[in-house]
Amino acid sequence: MLEGAKSMGAGAATIASAGAAIGIGNVLSSSIHSVARNPSLAKQLFGYAILGFALTEAIASFAPMMAFLISFVFQVR
Amino acid sequence: MFRRIFLFDEDSLNSSVTSYTNASQSTTTIMDYSLKSSDTQGSSSGIFTDHPGLNPCSERIVELQYDIRLKLGALMPKESAQKVLEASEALHGESNNIAFLEYLLEDLQQNGVGGEAYKDAVDLSKDLVSSPLEQFEIISLIPMKIGNLYFSFTNPSLFMLLTLSLVLLLVYFVTKKGGGNSVPNAWQSLVELIYDFVLNPVNEQIGGLSGNVKQKFSPRISVTFTFSLFCNPQGMIPYSFTVTSHFLITLGLSFSIFIGITIVGFQKNGLHFLSFLLPAGVPLPLAPFLVLLELIPYCFRALSSGIRLFANMMAGHSSVKILSGFAWTMLCMNDLLYFIGDLGPLFIVLALTGLELGVAISQAHVSTILICIYLNDAINLHQSASFFIIEQKRV
Repeated sequence: MLEGAKSMGAGAATIASAGAAIGIGNVLSSSIHSVARNPSLAKQLFGYAILGFALTEAIASFAPMMAFLISFVFQVR
Repeated sequence: MFRRIFLFDEDSLNSSVTSYTNASQSTTTIMDYSLKSSDTQGSSSGIFTDHPGLNPCSERIVELQYDIRLKLGALMPKESAQKVLEASEALHGESNNIAFLEYLLEDLQQNGVGGEAYKDAVDLSKDLVSSPLEQFEIISLIPMKIGNLYFSFTNPSLFMLLTLSLVLLLVYFVTKKGGGNSVPNAWQSLVELIYDFVLNPVNEQIGGLSGNVKQKFSPRISVTFTFSLFCNPQGMIPYSFTVTSHFLITLGLSFSIFIGITIVGFQKNGLHFLSFLLPAGVPLPLAPFLVLLELIPYCFRALSSGIRLFANMMAGHSSVKILSGFAWTMLCMNDLLYFIGDLGPLFIVLALTGLELGVAISQAHVSTILICIYLNDAINLHQSASFFIIEQKRV
């Protein structure tokens, strides 16, 4: 019972990936928009896009972290 | 702690090489596996009562393995069935050698708890890597204790020392004999790249309105950057340890920087630094709420930059470990279909390793940029707001 609840919790923790997907998509779409408007800034904007990806990805990794913590660290007694 | 070498006979060695041509041997391994999986579900009678007439050699092996498990279960009555199964599997391993299994069983029966086989079973099952988080375990290499304080030289300290020596060695090689060639060689341009990489964000972010460069913070930020730049990819080396995958280290780093930035803010602006908590032009009744609303994110910066680094490192490394575990299990199933299907997880692991290397470097970059931004907030306060006020005064 508790084991099953643990698995469900770990699975539910991965729902957060949806938010990360939206965030990464948003970064990429904005970057493409900006480059389309001003192609001469492409190089500079790429750097900012990478920074945005890294920041979004960092938040995204909270989801698997929680999933791993739930499934491997919490011991059912 | 030593890994034990199993006594394989030649037949089993040949079977792993030519398992696809030798039909009887490959059925052996498949049967072995199905028996294991039925064991975990709790059926105790074994598969061979249901399927008579299979390979007699493997039947004997399975009987012996089952006997070993029963004997171990009798010897450790306090442990759960799962623990006993793990211990017995750790003890006999994948061995197909009947003489070796018989020896183990005999040792268990005669010597019991005091015997060598029992001790091995306990040691090996303890040693069994069962969780992907076990790579983050802290082991004390040189135990030291001063009073009640625990000052052991652990594997994080070893790897931090390794990082330090790597950086110092790199800098030493470049600056040897005066260094500073006007046409840099590969190493010198690498070090110059790292140096410039920190200097540019510092210039851009902390420059302030007048654009005068605040280079005095550059060394501190550079140290943070090089530390995480060398620590993060170092963890990608197999069997090494990721220093930055621990709360303690990343939070220690981020909290000390947070406190330092706050002190710098007070030093620079005096009590005027508190105006940071209140945006300009706010009606007075709203002020208490806004101060609270600004204070919470400000304090959360300390937590967030530490946890960001830690979460990235831990989640990434565990997922690489889990996926490579998939690949390894599929590879060991001794079946052509699984062998071909194994390419899937293998390539995912490869891609994930590349991604992790990218993340390791980009996280160092991100934390550096964020420190610069926070420092800029502390030194220049609300830059755009003050700019706006100046403009208004001029009009």
